[in-house]
Formats: sequence, structure tokens, C-alpha cells
Amino acid sequence: MANLSKLPDELQLATAAHVKYIQSLDTRKDEYEYWLTEHLRLNGLYWGLTALHLLGQPDALPRAETIDFVLSCQHDNGGFGAAPGHDAHMLYTVSAVQILAMIDAFDDLEKRGKGKAAVGKFIADLQNRKTGTFAGDEWGEEDTRFLYGAFNALSLLDMVDLVDVDKAVDYIISCANFDGGYGLSPGSETHSGQIFTCLAALSIAGRMESVEVDKLGKWLSERQVAGGGLNGRPEKDEDVCYSWWVLSSLEMIGRTHWIDRDALIAFILRCQDPELGGIADRPGNMVDVWHTLFGITGLTLLGYPGLEPVNPVYCLPKSTTDRVLGSRT
Amino acid sequence: MASHGIARTIRTRTDEQREQDLDKIAKYRDLETQIRMRVKQGSNSDNDNGSYADPVLFQLTTKLLRLNPEYYTIWNVRRCCLTSGLLCRRSGGSSLSKASPSTSRSDTMRPSSGDCLPSSSDSTRPDRKSLRAGRDGKSGISADDGTGSHDTNTGRTQEAEATGADTQEEDDTEAIGKDTGLLQSELAFTIPLLLEFPKCYWIWNYRSWLLSEAISRLPSTIARQIWEAELALTAKMLAKDRRNFHAWSYRRHVVATLESPALNGSSMAETEFAYTTKMIGADLSNFSAWHHRSRLILRVLDEKDADDQARKAFLEEELALAREGLNVGPEDQSLWYYHQFLMSHLTEYSGRVTIAPALTVEERRAYVMKEIEEIKDLLEDYDDVKWIYQGLLDYTLALGSLGGEGKGNEAEGFKDDMQEWLAKLRKLDPMRNGRWDDVEKTLEGW
Repeated sequence: MANLSKLPDELQLATAAHVKYIQSLDTRKDEYEYWLTEHLRLNGLYWGLTALHLLGQPDALPRAETIDFVLSCQHDNGGFGAAPGHDAHMLYTVSAVQILAMIDAFDDLEKRGKGKAAVGKFIADLQNRKTGTFAGDEWGEEDTRFLYGAFNALSLLDMVDLVDVDKAVDYIISCANFDGGYGLSPGSETHSGQIFTCLAALSIAGRMESVEVDKLGKWLSERQVAGGGLNGRPEKDEDVCYSWWVLSSLEMIGRTHWIDRDALIAFILRCQDPELGGIADRPGNMVDVWHTLFGITGLTLLGYPGLEPVNPVYCLPKSTTDRVLGSRT
Repeated sequence: MASHGIARTIRTRTDEQREQDLDKIAKYRDLETQIRMRVKQGSNSDNDNGSYADPVLFQLTTKLLRLNPEYYTIWNVRRCCLTSGLLCRRSGGSSLSKASPSTSRSDTMRPSSGDCLPSSSDSTRPDRKSLRAGRDGKSGISADDGTGSHDTNTGRTQEAEATGADTQEEDDTEAIGKDTGLLQSELAFTIPLLLEFPKCYWIWNYRSWLLSEAISRLPSTIARQIWEAELALTAKMLAKDRRNFHAWSYRRHVVATLESPALNGSSMAETEFAYTTKMIGADLSNFSAWHHRSRLILRVLDEKDADDQARKAFLEEELALAREGLNVGPEDQSLWYYHQFLMSHLTEYSGRVTIAPALTVEERRAYVMKEIEEIKDLLEDYDDVKWIYQGLLDYTLALGSLGGEGKGNEAEGFKDDMQEWLAKLRKLDPMRNGRWDDVEKTLEGW
């Protein structure tokens, strides 16, 4: 990190502006975009809250209201929708569990929500028992994103034994390609996002032995382009979100030192809006909470000073996973 | 919420603009409220078919989805409208035309996936059996919906038995025509949305679901026509964006289904392989097309019953194709990855199926040596492309791990070269110096 001091002033993390930006997100009800994105609300809360925790401001959103909102999204079958009135889906159920884990509110789920058991059952019922993979909801779309989400949430709830882990692991292995990476289903092209989901799921299952570490590390390290940012696939443009998908994957296989940390830090910082807060996909573009989170997770994985450490498998503050998972053997 | 590629502008709205926004919000929310109300009202009514047998509700979803195709819950409502009355034929094939009002009350008949109960939090969606059957089966036909025309739970079928098969056949032809038309108009409805939002998962999912409904509700010849048209759509989407991974993935799904017994299909490996040749011809840097090609090779060879000689010739042709590309674009990662893929079939052959399995170790060594020499020739024209040095290092290391006679001599001969290539890599690609440090450690033990 020696070179960090060489960064000009405008390339310092605008922490206060980012906190304000995230706090402002739920006050934009007079903007059309706010309503058009309601189908992402619970994800958005997870992205914003995680970013705030990593910025060292875990109390910047009110805890009681957060719990109330999360529980208001739950259905009788245990699953969560994006917001009240939206159907239950794996994507939001995982966000709900992550949020409740982060603010230590599993008790509220038990007392005021439908309970952990119902959540676990909702997720476990989405496993395709024949192939091992998971659907997002009852309409049946399957994707390794949902498999990872299931492992993430079930392990936080300590309910992984509800599903067939071996079958799921076999499925992930069947998504592997010659370059060491993974696609979204068997036969699909390697993609950084899917590499993250597959590696993280294997990591939760304790089954990393099948990973071709050097091949994958080479492929991942080639994602860094001349401007310092990372892309998601060969011959594509860089984007801040890959500061999470690629970097967390490198971290999981112990190859983070195969890219230029300082160049990536500078790229992420160039993507922030230092005045109004938030981080964009590329310098000069519109910010959003999704890129804000993945810019910050990238910075903390790279050891940028003043940030809380993140768990590369769960995309949660390390303090959260230590608390929730730490007591187990 | 995730904006990609949209330039940051200072957003100050005039009072007038703000009023316009508020007006848009009010209209949007009103539409949403109407949909929720109708779903709820229907579920409390005496309508046997539940809340979704409501043409007005269906039209409202059209309006809302045009404003916001990311609204997944509304796509679900729309599916329920289709399965709760708009589609005449039951999944599994038989006609429901006049009996549809009783469908949702019948325990043995469910839509092919999902239960269309109102989605408010006071409802559950308990029975996933039918979905599982659909997903488990190769064909996508949901087996336990296939109660077929012998289902006596519907008044319609009993009536058909009483009045004779002719009427049933007529009704069925009419029902097939109606359902085909409806599924096709649904597919058409999503096309402008897909062109505007080509990376929206929910639109792709909805199309995929419509296609699976076509298989479970229509005769296979008609379903096949619908799926064939879908292949043309993927080609159109890929012509627009050659790397769209939704479209590539979807294409693989469409092809696999067209090949399956459910659509009386046979292998399309050869034509798909030709498609990749065409896509690569248009753009050598299209790694998605190279990837697709890499997944077809073994099938193409097997289906041709290629003998050892043909397999060798095939490998040589593909290596030459990649190398020709590298001669003009030595910094193109797509070409290098495809070249690496081919080389892995020479160097990592134990315990896996490869392109030319009968090659001896000596032959393999000769091929790798030849590629190394060819790549060295690239240095005459390009001495500042890091991929060339990386290729030389990787393939030389792979040569060392191949075994066979003469290994020691070759290794000695390459030792100085490898140090030189590594030094070049450090100079040309300092971003990955941590990796070159690790390569150096490997070379020390070589």
C-alpha cells in the first residue's frame, strides 16, 4: 500500500458523501426511478447496509425500521419478496437473511416473522433433487446464482443439512470450463460473476479441492485492463462491480497478489462521485448503490485504510460472519 | 438501480419536470394498485377459476410490463392469467376448452408450474411437485400433469366420452389453434421489450416458460415450429450483440430442446458448429463463439465416426485456424484462449476425453514443439506483445510435464529462453508482477 500516499487528494475515499448518499436512497419517492426499481428494494437495502457497515457506520440506517421492512416482505411459505406485494424469490430471501444476520436479528425473525424453519424450507424446496442445482422460484429458472444464494443463506441459518450438498457440488463441477472458470449452467461460457458464485458455494461446502487454482488464477488476473479496472470476460470493458466478482474469487484461491492493487484502487476511486457520494461502473457515469457496494468491497479486499474487512465468500462484514458462523465447529 | 454506461449529469429538475415525474409516478402506481386489487378481489370471489381468469387483469399486466419489464411479480401474474383460463388445452395435451372453469379446483390438474394463488403474504404456494417433474425430465414435459384425456375430474371429459370422439377432436383442433395463436402472440409481445432490454433476466425467463408451455400443451409438430422460430430469434439477438451471454445460453437451451425426443429432434452439432464458424468469421475476437465451438467439437467428431487420422487432421486444422488469427491479432485474448483449449487436448489427456486420444506421447511432444516454433515466429513481427511470451512459457512448461524421451535435453535447451521470456513479461506486463514472481519460483524448480 506504499503507493497510496501518492494518490492525489481527489482520489481519497469520500466516506462521508457515500454514507449520505446511501441514507438518501429511501427518500427519493418523488423520482420515477424509485418506483421502477421497487423489484430490487430488499437487495438494495442489503447493498446499502453492507456498504455502511464496511464504511464503519453500521448504525446509519435505523435498526428497528430495517427489521420491520424486512419482515414485511416475508410470505407465509417463508420466502421473501423484493417489497411488500412482490412474490417470494430466492434472490430476496437471501438478501433478507443476510440483512438479519448483519444486524443480529434472527430472534426477530423467530418471534415476529415466520421463523427460520420456514425460510430454510422455502430455500430447500427450490433444490432440484435430481441435478442438485436450485431454482429462483416456483417458475423454475435455474442458475448457479441461486445455488450460491441457497448455500449462503442456509449456512447463516445453520440449516445446510436440509439440502443435498454433494449433488449441488457435483453440479458446480459440471459447470467448469477448460480455463478453470465456471458458467451459469453446464456448457455455458466462463463468466466472472459465475466464478464467484461457484467458488463461494464450493467454499461454503468445504469442497475447494476440485478448483484448478493456477488456471483460474491466470484467467482472473487477465481481467485487469490497462486502466486498472477489471472486466468480467475476455475482450470486454472494465466495470467496478468486477472489483467484487473477480477480486473475491482471487482472494478465495489465494491469488490476489496476481493483479496490480494500486491501479485497481485508483480506478475504483476515479469512479466515485466525491461530492454527492456513490460509485459508478466507470469514471464519469451515474452512481448506484450496487456499484457503490462493490467498489467499497473491492477497496477493503485490497486493504484500503479505514474500512472494515469483508468476508469474500459471503459478501458480509467479517465481523458478521465471525459472530454468526464463528461459534460453530 | 444498477446503472451501466449512463453518463453522470447534474440532476436539477425544474418544477415543471418534477410535476411531470409525479404524474408519471401516480399513473404507474395506479396501474399497480389496479392489478393488486383485481388479484385480491378475484381470490375472494365465487369465481371457480380464481382471480386470474380475468381478461382485464391480463391487459393491465401488458400495460405495466411495457413500462417496467423488470417487475417479476407482474410476469408471474401474467403466467397465471394464461394457465387459469386463457390457454384452453391442459398441459399434457388434452382439451379443456369448455371445462376450464373447474381447473383450479381439481387436485389432479395444476398448471405446469406454480400454483396461481394470489401472491399476497397470506398465501402459500405449496405444491412444487409438478414443477419438479417438469425440470427433472429431459423433455421439459411435466409428467404429473399428464393425467391425459382419461382424467375424469373434468365435466368436459365426461361429456366428451358421452357424446363421442368426433366432437372432442373438433374442439381439440380449435383449442390447438387458439393456444398456438396465444403463445405466439405472447412471444411477439416480449420481442420489443427484449430488444430494448436485452439483458433483462425476467423477459428471457418468461419466453423460456412460454416455450415449455408449448411443448406441454401442443402437438410436437406445432411446438417444434415455435421452437425453431426461437432459434432465429437468438441469431437476431446475437447479431445485435455478439457477446450477450443471456442469448448464447438461451441458444444452447433452445438447441438442446430442438435436439430432444420431446420435439422429435436429432443432433444439431454440425449446424451449430457451422454457426460458430460464421460468427468467428465476422469477428475473430468473439470468445463466446469460440467457446460454443469448443463445446461442440467432441460431439461433431463422434457423430462423424471420425477415425484417428481424421481426428488428428481436425486438431491440426483447428490449430492452424487459431494461429492464422494470431498472425494478424497476436494480442487477441479470444484466440489465445481457444489455442490454449486445443493445446490442453495435447498436454492434459489422461482421464479425460480428448480430440485425438490415440496420439502417442512422442507425437504430442512433436505437436507442442511445432506450436512453440510457430509462436516464436510471431516474435519477428511483434516483439512487444506479452501474450506471445506467455504462450511460449506456458507451452514449454507443459512440454516438460508431458514426459517421454528427450525431456531432459529439451529442458536444458529452453532454460535460458524461459528466463528471457519471463524478463520480457515483467517488462511488458508489470501489472501482474506478483504472478511473474510465482512463475519464477516454478522455473527454479524446473
